[in-house]
Amino acid sequence: MINLVNVSKQYDGLEILKDFNINFEKNKITCLFGPSGVGKTTIANIVAGIVPVDKGLIECTDNLLFSYVFQEPRLLKWYNVYDNIDFVLRDVYKNDKRAEIINSYLKMVELYEYKSYKIDALSGGMAQRVSLARAFAYPSHILIMDEPFKGFDFKLKNEMISLFKKMWDSSRRTVIFITHDVEEAIDLSHTIYTLKNRPISIIDKLIVNNNNKEEIKNLLLSL
Amino acid sequence: MMNFILRNKSKLLIILFWILIWEILSLIINQEIYLPSPHAAFSSLMNLLNKKDTYTTILYSTYRTLTGFFLSCALGIFLGIICGIYKPVYNLFYPLIGIIRTIPVMSIIIIAIMWFKDTNVPIFVAFLMCFPIIWTNSVSGIHSTDIKLLQMCEVYKVKKIRIIKSVYFNSSLPYIKAGMISALGIGWKVTSAAEVLSLPKYSIGRFLYDSKVYLEIPDLFAWTIIIVSLSFLFENLLKYIFKIGDKYDKFS
Repeated sequence: MINLVNVSKQYDGLEILKDFNINFEKNKITCLFGPSGVGKTTIANIVAGIVPVDKGLIECTDNLLFSYVFQEPRLLKWYNVYDNIDFVLRDVYKNDKRAEIINSYLKMVELYEYKSYKIDALSGGMAQRVSLARAFAYPSHILIMDEPFKGFDFKLKNEMISLFKKMWDSSRRTVIFITHDVEEAIDLSHTIYTLKNRPISIIDKLIVNNNNKEEIKNLLLSL
Repeated sequence: MMNFILRNKSKLLIILFWILIWEILSLIINQEIYLPSPHAAFSSLMNLLNKKDTYTTILYSTYRTLTGFFLSCALGIFLGIICGIYKPVYNLFYPLIGIIRTIPVMSIIIIAIMWFKDTNVPIFVAFLMCFPIIWTNSVSGIHSTDIKLLQMCEVYKVKKIRIIKSVYFNSSLPYIKAGMISALGIGWKVTSAAEVLSLPKYSIGRFLYDSKVYLEIPDLFAWTIIIVSLSFLFENLLKYIFKIGDKYDKFS
């Protein structure tokens, strides 16, 4: 689906990536697992086209569309819940179709009753649910999730994870999932790349299945 | 009325305190030509408020101030947003705005008198004095836009024109509003100054000038009180409009 080939990237003389290679499989959830500050977000931003590379190739099919669930919701606080999703869909769908899609995703994240609420009136968890609904409502081929559940308590995190699973089941797409939380990584991913710095290199590529979850968990905890 | 007085008791006391100081100073100086007493100034004010011409004059001066102000808002916000987003356009306009900001008001008024007919001079001067304030605030507002929101727009491939309208404009709105409030106050000051020199038929500036020529100093003070009150009134009206807008926005 998408490959980074011999990609190099420097920030102020600091080498983040050097001849780095990685592959993200179509319609699978691939996790980038590593400690904070290793440069996982840089990889995701290169894939999304937000950050240009110094050297190397990004191999993918043309006209790929991306959606992104950032660490923080990144919503327009002067718009309400509905209009925030509408904002990214306006150039993609006509009015009727847009309303249908937005309402269905708002129902899915259980925020339909809050659709006319301003962002400031929402809790952190609710705002991140809007961000999740926006990402799924957008007809992206690749969905990037950069530690979207960071800072949430255990209960809220579990709610968000099951919500994500439900949404992904109904609209399967390629997901790049960034985390340094072992439980999240095992619970959601099909493939886990464990990373170390610097420059970033892949320690291991782990394929998760129902039989090896405990083994992978121990491995990740030992890193 | 009673409720209003009770609610604003401290403010009224402060005003009364300064009027008392004014009274004491005028008693010490004891020459109306330098400093008339509050009583003389307020009597003149009452006298003026009983004349129909006063209201026509106020209306014309208000028209000039507001026209200059709204022209500067329209151009200042438009150019400010463009300059805030596109660095080369900013570099092009920055020296010009810097020059406008440093030219003495009197030079601009005299130049304007050569260029325009009397009634348009104050409009042009108000426009030129308010424009740099609005422009600077609009540019600062654009520069304060959260880069993270712009990245989000980039990922979702939102069209540039919608980014300008929905992200840049809304981010810079608090700055634009603050700029508009300060510009309106300055607009009243420079309009009156330009009227004093260009002397349009119905204008507060002309009456200020006449009071000076005929040494009617209480009238001079009365007209000054009118300008200050108008400036205060319009500034509060603008703040009120913004407040209503915010409230409406909160519930929409």
